[in-house]
Amino acid sequence: MRNKKLEARQRFDVRMLLFYASVPVLLGLLLFHIMQMQWFEHDKYALQANQNRLNIVPVLPVRGEIIDAHGKGLAINRIAYRIVLIPERVEHLNATLNILAEMLVWTPAKFALIHKRIQRARRPDRPVLLDDKLQWLNVAPLAARLHHLPGVDVEAGSYRQYPYAELTSHLIGYLSLARKKDMDAGYLPTEFIGRTGVEKSFELKLHGQPGHQQEEVDARGRRVAVVKRAPPVMGDQIQLALDIDIQKAAADALGERTGAVVVMDVRTGDIIAMLSKPGYDTNRFITGLESEQWNAWLNNPERPLLNRATQAAYPPASTFKLVTALGALKNGIRLANGSAFCPGYLELADRKLHCWKHRGHGKVTLNSALIQSCDVYFYQLGDQLGMAAISDTAHELGLGEKTQIDLSPEARGIIPTHQPYMMAAFKSSHTKRKKWYRGETMITAIGQGLLTVTPLQMARLAAAIANGGKVLKPQLLAGSQAEVLHQVDIKPEQLQKIQQAMRGVVLNPHGTAHRVLSKAAWAVAGKTGTAQVVKIRRNEKKELSKDELLRRHRDHAWFMGYAPYDKPKIAIAVFVEHGGHGGSSAGPVAAAIIETMAAKQQVNISKGETP
Amino acid sequence: MLKSLDWILLASLFGLAALGMIVLYAAVHQGDSELWQKQAMFWAIGMLVFSMLCFVPLRILGLACWPMYGAALLLLMLVPLVGDIHMGARRWLDLGVANIQPSEIMKWALIFVLASWFSSREARGKVEIMVPLLLAVIPAGLIIIQPDLGTTLVLLFAATGMVIAAGLPWRLLMISIVTGIASLPVLWHFMHDYQKQRVLTLLDPQSDPLGAGYHVIQSTIAIGSGGLAGKGFLQGTQGRLHFLPEQHTDFIFSILAEEGGFLAVVLLLSLYAVLILRVLLIGHRAHNRFASLLCIGIALIFILYITVNIGMVSGLFPVVGLPLPFISYGGSALVTMLAALGLVMRVALESKEKIPWQRPGSPLA
Repeated sequence: MRNKKLEARQRFDVRMLLFYASVPVLLGLLLFHIMQMQWFEHDKYALQANQNRLNIVPVLPVRGEIIDAHGKGLAINRIAYRIVLIPERVEHLNATLNILAEMLVWTPAKFALIHKRIQRARRPDRPVLLDDKLQWLNVAPLAARLHHLPGVDVEAGSYRQYPYAELTSHLIGYLSLARKKDMDAGYLPTEFIGRTGVEKSFELKLHGQPGHQQEEVDARGRRVAVVKRAPPVMGDQIQLALDIDIQKAAADALGERTGAVVVMDVRTGDIIAMLSKPGYDTNRFITGLESEQWNAWLNNPERPLLNRATQAAYPPASTFKLVTALGALKNGIRLANGSAFCPGYLELADRKLHCWKHRGHGKVTLNSALIQSCDVYFYQLGDQLGMAAISDTAHELGLGEKTQIDLSPEARGIIPTHQPYMMAAFKSSHTKRKKWYRGETMITAIGQGLLTVTPLQMARLAAAIANGGKVLKPQLLAGSQAEVLHQVDIKPEQLQKIQQAMRGVVLNPHGTAHRVLSKAAWAVAGKTGTAQVVKIRRNEKKELSKDELLRRHRDHAWFMGYAPYDKPKIAIAVFVEHGGHGGSSAGPVAAAIIETMAAKQQVNISKGETP
Repeated sequence: MLKSLDWILLASLFGLAALGMIVLYAAVHQGDSELWQKQAMFWAIGMLVFSMLCFVPLRILGLACWPMYGAALLLLMLVPLVGDIHMGARRWLDLGVANIQPSEIMKWALIFVLASWFSSREARGKVEIMVPLLLAVIPAGLIIIQPDLGTTLVLLFAATGMVIAAGLPWRLLMISIVTGIASLPVLWHFMHDYQKQRVLTLLDPQSDPLGAGYHVIQSTIAIGSGGLAGKGFLQGTQGRLHFLPEQHTDFIFSILAEEGGFLAVVLLLSLYAVLILRVLLIGHRAHNRFASLLCIGIALIFILYITVNIGMVSGLFPVVGLPLPFISYGGSALVTMLAALGLVMRVALESKEKIPWQRPGSPLA
């Protein structure tokens, strides 16, 4: 008994040692494990902790605004708030949405749309846009309750607005979100990038540089504090030479018609107005353009997306007679006796080329031929001058060349030459094989045939005639230095003859623009054009079958000119698609522009400013 | 009586109380800061129970332990029938006045009956071993079907420890260890999917970083990033920014390790070592086997809780949901543990004041 008791006691003492030992062993193992984590692997875990808590968030720059010559905003930034939701951080989606719907007064349709958008979100860790363009008044109550709504955030930002969207759609252009290509170039997916017009041309200047901030976030991803901040560099403001009042006057005068207007400063090349109709609402691009709308614009036969001032080239019609006349003066070519007799047509071999005035103009000189736009005179003058000289003169005056305006793409237009290899420019084998006929030189001389020019080129041509032969680079930015791309090789007195003739177009009772422009506030000099079909008897049958096709090209109306005559200030080119007669259709638009310019100047003089 | 108190035990307990309240403040100061006041109240209640138990003769506990075990077993059997389900497990019993976890009571009751069983015999005969085996396996089976893997393991490990203390032959111990390992697949079979998931996630937490592995990953980041000196009181980013889950209960160790660093960990483990070694020493010095085995059982539960909890938050063990003694927030666990320490203190008192307990003539007295 005693032995057994002693034995048990001894055994217990030994077992006790085991328990004593197990305490330091177990705790020691734990301690070793913790030491390994906190000492040897500390850097790894410290990095992970920072990755947990620190988020580098880009801060987008505010895009530079675009204003007109008088400081009116053409592309401006509006402060707005948007509400985003990160699906994976939301605890009770339906409850959250109900609260939001009540606070933001969503309609049931909008609620359904937002619900659908959340369900369609492919990545639950990426924010889904719930509502946009909200004012602080609307979001303030929500912002105060954000901590009750995990996963919901209110973001402040700015969005682009175009107050004169339809008026300036082609010139200013639009923005859209960065695409794959842009992101490869370093843009962030949330950045807007200029796609057309000035927004595209001056993208680098307007855009600015994004900054970033290092934010401390909690486990729900909510920002707790901003640790570090590298502020973004704001984009530069751009002031255009454009005067939105003139642009508006031109648009009003053009009304619902399709066409283009360019107003240019004859001394500097500043673009005072550049309008293309129809326009489109560039504001639609900012909230994400629906593809239906885009396709509607794309397939509209009136082609609203086309900038008719720079991207479209049209037959210049009679306005081209100025080029033929200049070429003749330059090259010392004149008709015998300096005049021609117009019976209303010109017989050439087996063909009969008609004058637009079938009764004929009788005896016409260069001056009266320009004033009355006599075709027969210019058939003869062109025939004598020759196609090469006409083509050279046109190029010298900047036709068939890019104007180098900071808008792309830009159409070059077509100045044909008699050289057959040049015809290769027309991809058709039909034209390539064709021999150049004498009659083709003649119809080119009156601005018909293959010739095409852009309204911007015509405005620049008018400016060159007004300013003594300086072909200028069109300038979009206010305060730009005049840039003379070419000085036309012509004597001042020769140029004066053209100027006088253009003045006659308005002043002379027989002038094609007399009726609409003779009473304008400024003395106008100009030339009208009506793109009509030159009937060629030999091809009559063929043409008749094409009659419908040709009708579409029959009625384009042109006016180009400058004012005031004595002290030229602005050059104007007006083009109206299917507008009818140049003088009566395009002329009034020029008149409206000049009235507005004159009225504005009057106001400035009365204000005591120098005109 | 004051002279007979074990002051080292008390000192380590107060040290843990102070450290626990500091860490708890760091864990809850941002959100439910009233939990801190509640825990202070639990300490007060617990210390009251502790003091009262210092006056209860062990003899009474010796008489009460069998009925207590029987009651606990009965309650445990009621759980599958009428228990409440919390978070996928049926563990709670609504007694009208309070919700109780019978498995918590059983943990202590088993220790008491094993201490009582072995108070007069050694674990060296068939009956001597088979009875405690049944006493442990029946409740363990009832608890694992709840399911509560953590408590089951604590129960089984504590029972094993008790049997070893009671003189289990080494040969049998080896056999039972081998059998235990061999029965792991059976255990795996009985485990619920979420428990299997926890084990699998433990083996590779990165496999599910936002799901089951999230807790472990975040707590290891907190511990590791604490470094040697810690990030400073209330400066821990993992805790402050709510990356740490359940940071005031099971994962509170991560807060301590993050803000206090390795130094705080050393301090905590030292306090634990002093406390547990002191409990073992009191047990060793006790004049009767019941008191000795009681202290060993209590020490075993403490060391198991500590090891499993710290092991789980630092990524060594699966997440089984055991609190860190005296540090984690939670009233019932704290009060129970203080009560257990009260019993230990009573053992210390009785052995110093030589209070007789055993009936004379008992073979191992």
